[in-house]
Amino acid sequence: MTLLRLISLPYFRKHVLRTMLTMAGIVLGVAVFVGMHTANQSVLDAFSHTVDRIAGKTELQVTAGETGFSEDVLERVQAAATVRVAVPVIEAVVDINLSGPSSQGNLLVLGVDMTGDRSLRDYNFDSAPGSAASPGNDDAGIDDPLVFLAQPDSLMVSRDFADKNHFAVGDKVSLGTAQGQRQFTIRGVMASSGLTSAFGGNLAVMDVYAAQRMFGRGRSFDRIDLAVKPGRTIVECENELRQLLGPGFQVDPPSGRGQQFEAMMSAYSMMVNISSLFALFIGMFIIYNSFAIAVTQRRSEIGILRALGATRAQIRWLFLGESAITGLIGSLGGLAFGLLIARGIAASIGALITDVYGVAQHADDIATSPTVLLSALAIGIVTSIVAAAIPARTAARVDPVQALQKGKYQVLSAGESRVRAVAATLLGVASVACLGFGGSRIVFYAGYFLSIVAALLLSPILALALAKAIRPILKWIRPVEGVLAADSLIQAPRRTSASVAALMLSLALVIGFAGMARASYDSIIDWMTTALNPDLFVLPSQSIVTRTIRFPREMGPELASVPGVERVQMVRDARIMFRQTPVMVVAVEINSVAETARRTPVAGDPADMYRRAAAGEGLIVSDNLAQLQHLALGDTLEIPAPAGVIRLPIVGIVIDYSDQQGTILMDRSLFTRYWNDDSVNVFRLYLKAGAPVPEVRQQILDRYAGNRQVFVMTNGELKGYILKVTDQWFGLTSIQIAVAVLVAILGIVNTLTVSITDRRRELGVLQAVGGLHGQIRRTIWIEALSIGTLGLVLGFLLGAINLYYILQIVHHDIAGMRLDYEFPWSTALALVPTILGAAIIAAIWPAESAVRGSLVEALEYE
Amino acid sequence: MNSNDVLSWIHARATARARRAWGWAPTLLREVSRALLVSLLLVQTAIVGAADNARTIVEEAQHRTDAKSQRYEGLLQVFDAKGTVTDKRWTFERLGSHGASKAVLRFTAPAEVKGVALLVVNHSDRASDQWMWTPAIERDRRIALQDRSTRFFGTDFSFEDLEERDVNQFDYVLEREEPVDGAACWRIQSTPKETKSSQYTRSIIWIQKDTYALVRIENYVKDKIVRRLNYSDIQNVQGIWTGRQMEMADLTRGSRTRLTLEKLQYNLPFKDDDFTLQAIRRQ
Repeated sequence: MTLLRLISLPYFRKHVLRTMLTMAGIVLGVAVFVGMHTANQSVLDAFSHTVDRIAGKTELQVTAGETGFSEDVLERVQAAATVRVAVPVIEAVVDINLSGPSSQGNLLVLGVDMTGDRSLRDYNFDSAPGSAASPGNDDAGIDDPLVFLAQPDSLMVSRDFADKNHFAVGDKVSLGTAQGQRQFTIRGVMASSGLTSAFGGNLAVMDVYAAQRMFGRGRSFDRIDLAVKPGRTIVECENELRQLLGPGFQVDPPSGRGQQFEAMMSAYSMMVNISSLFALFIGMFIIYNSFAIAVTQRRSEIGILRALGATRAQIRWLFLGESAITGLIGSLGGLAFGLLIARGIAASIGALITDVYGVAQHADDIATSPTVLLSALAIGIVTSIVAAAIPARTAARVDPVQALQKGKYQVLSAGESRVRAVAATLLGVASVACLGFGGSRIVFYAGYFLSIVAALLLSPILALALAKAIRPILKWIRPVEGVLAADSLIQAPRRTSASVAALMLSLALVIGFAGMARASYDSIIDWMTTALNPDLFVLPSQSIVTRTIRFPREMGPELASVPGVERVQMVRDARIMFRQTPVMVVAVEINSVAETARRTPVAGDPADMYRRAAAGEGLIVSDNLAQLQHLALGDTLEIPAPAGVIRLPIVGIVIDYSDQQGTILMDRSLFTRYWNDDSVNVFRLYLKAGAPVPEVRQQILDRYAGNRQVFVMTNGELKGYILKVTDQWFGLTSIQIAVAVLVAILGIVNTLTVSITDRRRELGVLQAVGGLHGQIRRTIWIEALSIGTLGLVLGFLLGAINLYYILQIVHHDIAGMRLDYEFPWSTALALVPTILGAAIIAAIWPAESAVRGSLVEALEYE
Repeated sequence: MNSNDVLSWIHARATARARRAWGWAPTLLREVSRALLVSLLLVQTAIVGAADNARTIVEEAQHRTDAKSQRYEGLLQVFDAKGTVTDKRWTFERLGSHGASKAVLRFTAPAEVKGVALLVVNHSDRASDQWMWTPAIERDRRIALQDRSTRFFGTDFSFEDLEERDVNQFDYVLEREEPVDGAACWRIQSTPKETKSSQYTRSIIWIQKDTYALVRIENYVKDKIVRRLNYSDIQNVQGIWTGRQMEMADLTRGSRTRLTLEKLQYNLPFKDDDFTLQAIRRQ
């Protein structure tokens, strides 16, 4: 402690800016870790919170995936011996078209049967004009309960929603329904309570039978909420209902929905985890770099301490103590900054989930999980100590005599280079060998890790080699400054290597993600070209993934009769539970699709595949489902449906990106039979040759204006929408680039600061013999640009390897997507000016510091 | 009511009947008759307990309200705790009585609820089946057994309160005589049998001694009184003593609902087909 107080504290005081930069590394790493985890958790919590609040006293829920089920299931459930109360529910998220800044977004509409629903949910009505209301006063808050039930436009809204939009009982609100925009009358306001806090307070309740009509549900319910009879257990009830309803239904506690949501989001969560861990890893390098700098700068001080009798252990503990304190302060800063950015990230994730999964989210509250915060704090401190361990050990080994010899320390000895090269080669070979054991994921990931370690070991050697390689170029560009800059790098590779390594890692991550995004784009475009070739798509919502509202099948013939329309295909898609995973079922008229969008299967004979699938004798599965669920051509699938279990063989495997967890394509007749549901999510329209697309589109809109909510997208618009969503999905890449740029700036500032400190006398001599300020500045700038260039070259090399591993992970572990390897040249080219620009920015302050320092002090140095 | 009270009541009624029947007979005969009657009643009292008396009274009350059918136009007034009054009107038609009746209740005013109908099919051995028809969405819905405790469309009646009480669905205990609004009444406790699903733990009913008309029902959940139904304006309509006004008070909420029976008629020639789901959808 005495050493810390007497030695470290004055150093920190003297180098406030540098200390801040050191901490910035850990702040950055911890902030990204906390921000991303907190945001991700906030979104998951928001969903669970909504589920919990809506569930009320519900102990079990009966569902059939997203498809819903026939009304008659309700009476069967109500008749079960173990069921006390069972009520039907329809849930729909609708756009709210209101004026005013606070009125944007979605409204969660809960369709319930108010005659019995209060057994499960406490609506806690507010006072309404003309009615006596007090908390818990049943339906006193509804202007008139009978009118509420009798009129299908009745809506009850939460107090939060009413206040935000200045609504009172009796006011009208316009909502998008299957029948177009409809005016609803607010006939009740629910006081702020558990239920109304669901979905960020944007909650409304309407009669379930009116909801069926408004959202095109026919005579079906989305789910049944129930409570168990007193004296019977939940398990008993679950078993009875499973027996009663069969495997096509899921009987789970409300929390099961949260788990399904998490399963659906698993791919995204994994990406978030990888990104945040990389950020931390990069932060570690910044700290390593900073401490390496500190050791360099203070080696004379260390030498004096050692000469005065300080032991090696004391010196080691001094640096480790400093790193722990830095880690603690940096981590605390990171926690605060992470929580600050979490809200923004959560909003972005929420929007992404709405667009990708069709599940609207309101993560208004940030889930500050103590576990995440404590973990981040611990990880930050440990990372800091680990990162400082090598510089601390180096400091402890400083020889008092060598400590006074400028620059000697930064030289990489030939022995060390050899050891590094041998170790890197061995690890590289081992990592390649690991690829041979493709079956074992642990071995694969071990190989991935080894390849990164090998790259890190090699980075100083490669940086040295590259610096030597670019020396002639720099000399050619600027004979004096170029040579000085190159020599600085060549003479002290250790000083540069940490910065370069951090930059390399960071850029490798960017290249990996960008390459994955590029490959996904290409693959998705291929799929869209073959599978999504209709001229028009008729949808009930602006979003192609929202399945809240559906069309009746009767619209099919109506659309077919629109002049210019040649062919109409009805598509019904919904997520169902298959092997405990939510996967997408896409029901289409296979015969018709075979004629218009014939796809070449990855496995199976095209003619046989379409023939058997159209006849209801087989199923077509997406390649990603086959990959994730280990399915092969000919395997018999067992798909639980409300009307029984479909047992059919896989007759073809095709590339399909309808869902990240996989897709099962079946003939529409099969779906209609097993789900007792003939509704339609999307109509695919092929136009007659020469039929003008805009005119046909307008005719369709006119045909349904005022009586049905219809959105018509052209082929180009739909593809654009999918690409936009894909863009959002890969939006993380931009965060990675931002982190990479920050890393570049921090690393280069640190490195140059040390470089200037090390070469203070040299720079002083240069000035004394007539060196101009401009020459000194240019030297520093060239050195910065050189570090950036080294980082770019090594980053691209490691990025190329990283991309291979990421594509393998995506294929085998995340989305099952078979993506072609393609180096993201455009991203790489964009990174060059970005990183070099960052390097120049990073060099401004050190360059100024070099020219503005006292010449006398510089010449007195050492 | 203790056994002496029962005895004195029976004696009084027997004496009155005897006077009416045999007023012209010689005194001796009257004395013999009286002696015989007293003997018979004493034997009966010894055998029959208070419970059976209670059941007999309720049976008699139910018997007296038996009718082939019933029709009335109801004015429903909900008085909330602040004193605000909401009016609604309905027509009520019932085919049969008590355990085996069917009833259709159809709202006629205000305009927003016109046409909303409720079909109630009562069963003597179990809870009734109820369906609701909402014309605006052209949908009927079954009111599940589990939901009967909820309030009937914002009134102070629950769906269960609309069911006809059948004597066989409860056990009775005659507690005592207790006047209501100056009229002598029997106070009887009724407890739902196991087969009867009810939100109430027990009810106390008051039956007017002279007309056998129900004048009050108090419903309890455990030991707490939750609802009180008062019958008033008791009139003899086509030989049936009927309370023309019923007022249900929700003692927890502090609100009350008054139902006034207008144009009350009994024994109209209704058809069975008019009391089906198809029928309520048609109208």
